[in-house]
Amino acid sequence: MKARDVVLIGILGATITTAKLTLSFIPNVEVVTLLFIIYTITFGYKKGFLVSMVFTTTEIFIYGFSTWFLVYYVIWPMLVIITELMRKRIESEYGYAIVGAIFGYTFGFFFAIMESFFYGTAYGLAYWIRGIPLDLLHGTSNFIIILVLFKPLKNLLSRLKVRYYRA
Amino acid sequence: MNKKTITIIAVLVVTLLLFAGYKTFLSPEIVEGDKEITIHIINEKENVDETFTYNTDHEFLLELLEENQEQLGITFEQYDLGVMITGMMDYQADPNSEYFHTYVNEEDAMTGPGDIPLNDQDVYTFELKNY
Repeated sequence: MKARDVVLIGILGATITTAKLTLSFIPNVEVVTLLFIIYTITFGYKKGFLVSMVFTTTEIFIYGFSTWFLVYYVIWPMLVIITELMRKRIESEYGYAIVGAIFGYTFGFFFAIMESFFYGTAYGLAYWIRGIPLDLLHGTSNFIIILVLFKPLKNLLSRLKVRYYRA
Repeated sequence: MNKKTITIIAVLVVTLLLFAGYKTFLSPEIVEGDKEITIHIINEKENVDETFTYNTDHEFLLELLEENQEQLGITFEQYDLGVMITGMMDYQADPNSEYFHTYVNEEDAMTGPGDIPLNDQDVYTFELKNY
């Protein structure tokens, strides 16, 4: 890995953290999913994976330790891997919007599994059921955001990538 | 109207229907003060052995303690890893030799109050101990 790649991973991690903080006043509406999908497609899954590590570690510095960070270290790399596996099969932004939607709808479920390990299955189930409205909001907003922003952002990043590595 | 707009409207309608279904069939009914919680404070040094019972809907112990901070005479200290109780019943533990040990139903608590879920009929004991 070259110095230029290391710098790029840092910059991409910073953009995701900033994007998340910018929208943090709206519960469960985020562009993090969109950015991870686009970064994986544009820069490859290896960089996408490292960006997810940078992002989660930065989140710990901001919000402190709790059970959520264990899920974050799994769920964002998982999105990167899913995107990588699906990219040859998906031909339009609709496919990625569906991936993002499913990711959002099941987001709380993954956290519920982790909560079950710490506090028991009953608590995990209650946690998941109480969070369903937020998961609905998360999945649907992911779908709309990806459907609207995927193409223009992908085109822009592809152009920037060429310029970045040519300079 | 183009294809994307129609798709977005359709997804929004389905989401609203699912939300309505959730509210009708799954949404937990909130009963005021659903859980009965006991807080037991022991400080042998000050001859304190007091028990408080609360009815609450809070999910975590810290929320209940914060709500009743004045009555329980609690002081908290925020650390990177979470909130720690440094004083109870207006007694401040000496940070060099004392701390408030937390029990959940007579078993040692494994996490701080911010991560201890409140369950109905649980007893949370705080006992002043020496290091």
